[in-house]
Amino acid sequence: MRTNIMVISAGVDMGTQRVKVAILKDKKIIAKSQQFIGFDPTKAAEKALKEALESANLSRKDLQHITATGAGVNMAAFADSTISMMGADARAGVYFFPLAKTVIDIGAEDARAVKCDEKGIMLDFVVNARCAAGAGTFIEAMARALEVEMNDMGLLSLKAERASPINASCVIFAESDVVSLIHREEPKSEIARAIFDAMTERVSSMVHRLGINPDIVLVGGVAKDIGFVTSLKRRLGMEILIPEEPMFAGAVGAALVAAKRARRRK
Amino acid sequence: MASKIETEKKYIPDMAQKEIDQLNKSIKSASIKVIEDNIERMKKSWKNRPKIMEYFDEISNFFGRRKKEIRKQKKDGKKIIGYSCIFAPIELILAAEAIPVRIGSGWYDTAKLGDRIMPVEICPVIRSTVGAKMVNLSPYLELTDAIVIPLTCDGRTKLSEILSDYKPIWHMNPPRVKDDPHTLKMWKEEMLLIKEKIENLTGNKITRKKLKAAIETLQQATKAFRRLQDLRKGPPVINGRDAMLVNQTSLWDNIERWTQKVNELCDELEKRVEQKQYSSFPETPRVMVTGTPMLWPDSWKVPNLIEESIPQGVIVVDEQCSGDRILYDPVGVDEWTMSDMLDAISERYLMACTCPCFTSEHGNEDRINWIIDRIKEYKVDGVIYYVVRGCILYAMEYARIKKVLDNLGIPVYYLDTEYTREDVGQMKTRIEAFLEMLEARIDV
Repeated sequence: MRTNIMVISAGVDMGTQRVKVAILKDKKIIAKSQQFIGFDPTKAAEKALKEALESANLSRKDLQHITATGAGVNMAAFADSTISMMGADARAGVYFFPLAKTVIDIGAEDARAVKCDEKGIMLDFVVNARCAAGAGTFIEAMARALEVEMNDMGLLSLKAERASPINASCVIFAESDVVSLIHREEPKSEIARAIFDAMTERVSSMVHRLGINPDIVLVGGVAKDIGFVTSLKRRLGMEILIPEEPMFAGAVGAALVAAKRARRRK
Repeated sequence: MASKIETEKKYIPDMAQKEIDQLNKSIKSASIKVIEDNIERMKKSWKNRPKIMEYFDEISNFFGRRKKEIRKQKKDGKKIIGYSCIFAPIELILAAEAIPVRIGSGWYDTAKLGDRIMPVEICPVIRSTVGAKMVNLSPYLELTDAIVIPLTCDGRTKLSEILSDYKPIWHMNPPRVKDDPHTLKMWKEEMLLIKEKIENLTGNKITRKKLKAAIETLQQATKAFRRLQDLRKGPPVINGRDAMLVNQTSLWDNIERWTQKVNELCDELEKRVEQKQYSSFPETPRVMVTGTPMLWPDSWKVPNLIEESIPQGVIVVDEQCSGDRILYDPVGVDEWTMSDMLDAISERYLMACTCPCFTSEHGNEDRINWIIDRIKEYKVDGVIYYVVRGCILYAMEYARIKKVLDNLGIPVYYLDTEYTREDVGQMKTRIEAFLEMLEARIDV
């Protein structure tokens, strides 16, 4: 029986800011680690993999298959195979929440939404076009304009009573809109909320292009931001499921694919 | 009536000859590199690429054999008639012993020059064509004696004005609704006007005999084209890019010679079907591309990515005026009288066309039906809907086509890009994910 074979596999997600690694043993996550990409992505990936292996008390030869994903997928030369970011998202979304039909992934510089079936096979996807205004970097840039810490933006936005509209078609335009709100002496909390609302407007229009299919799962680093999540829930008018460590979704999805490929080769 | 203030150049800014020459030189050498690189990549993706493909490689070089041929024929007194889109009646041009060449530009670098006149939101095909003229890059455009510009989209409408800074422009005014009772009549009048202009320019009367010969020449071309298309319906014996190149060279090659070479290619490919000698694995996901024309050489960006991707895809058919639409429909004549032939030409160029400039009570139904039929005939697994930014008609028609394809259960991906090489990484990510999705569906 194929299903009785024990499989240990790893997924490596080469993001634009960090590389994330997840190791699975029979579909259970047994180790995770992450590193900043820096100037040597391959080295960062190897370091992250080594750390994950150490924490699981494993060595490289215990891994039956490594699958890489992410924007810098080509830099993970040691991987046995690759999977697209959307394919990994779909797998991970259904792994965490079996009823997931839509997976939204908001990373540092990418935002995407994937429609999937009950097996985690991607059926359709939408990617934000050529601009980081729907992604994490946008929060970073806006926090700078408001002179607050990026991690404080979320809580700050929750204090707002209303949102002032800003243009989020582009980071640069949005920044100049924010500057004019500052000049109008709008409270920081309202500007913070406006920033999240502008982001989620873009994200929700992506989701609408796929058709609204609950359950909706949110993954990627930005899923940890309470301001973003609150705004997205408000806009979609429904509950959003978030796994415990959403930034590892890509790595977990890749590790699931790796396990499948390892099994197929046996 | 002319406006009250006429300047010599109505659109084109003054440029020093030295700058024009420098830009021409650098863009030309970059363009030759792109052509060579594309051919190299096509060879690499198709291990036993037939020798006959080298003919089409040669013709694909804008600065090579075909340019010399046209230049010589012009010297010998022939007229060169350019056209911006496939509404232009090739039969009439050939019957007047003139040489037709399509002038739309697929050069990315010249789009940046077009930015000097137009905002970047304008369709890059238009910006690039204007840019090419600004630095005299396109040998065919340079050699034209007049250019037929059917006013199909807003971009081409104003392109006609801009190019009139350099060349005599002949407008054609196609109707936007095909099935109104007066439209065919109006379109026929347009044909007669163009016929007269062609005759005046060339000094050659389009006789019944000459027109019949021209129609028959193109019918032969259609026959060869369809023979090649039939070969793309089964397991792949030719890569999509190679077939696209073959089809596109018909826009500037000598059409009789082209027909003969396509038949030679088909002879070879038919043997390969029997020997089961495929150009890629028979299970490779089968892709249709539709949308904005993909013009040689720079717009090979997306086809290259589709057929080099992991997992790989093979383009089995396209719905584009740069490819499978060019020669698909023959002119169907009942009686070889002058008036019947002109009727048949008018009908063929209007009714058979699936350009998104058309609409009707049922939308652009010919395009929708064309896509549905081809999906079935070519066993298409998924559709890439390709749009360059600013190509409004194709972009707007997407939502309707998507609904139709959703109902058929055929995945479609909207791939929007620009005349730039900088987004190759992003395009690659999306294309790979789409093909991965198609492959997963085939696996199941």
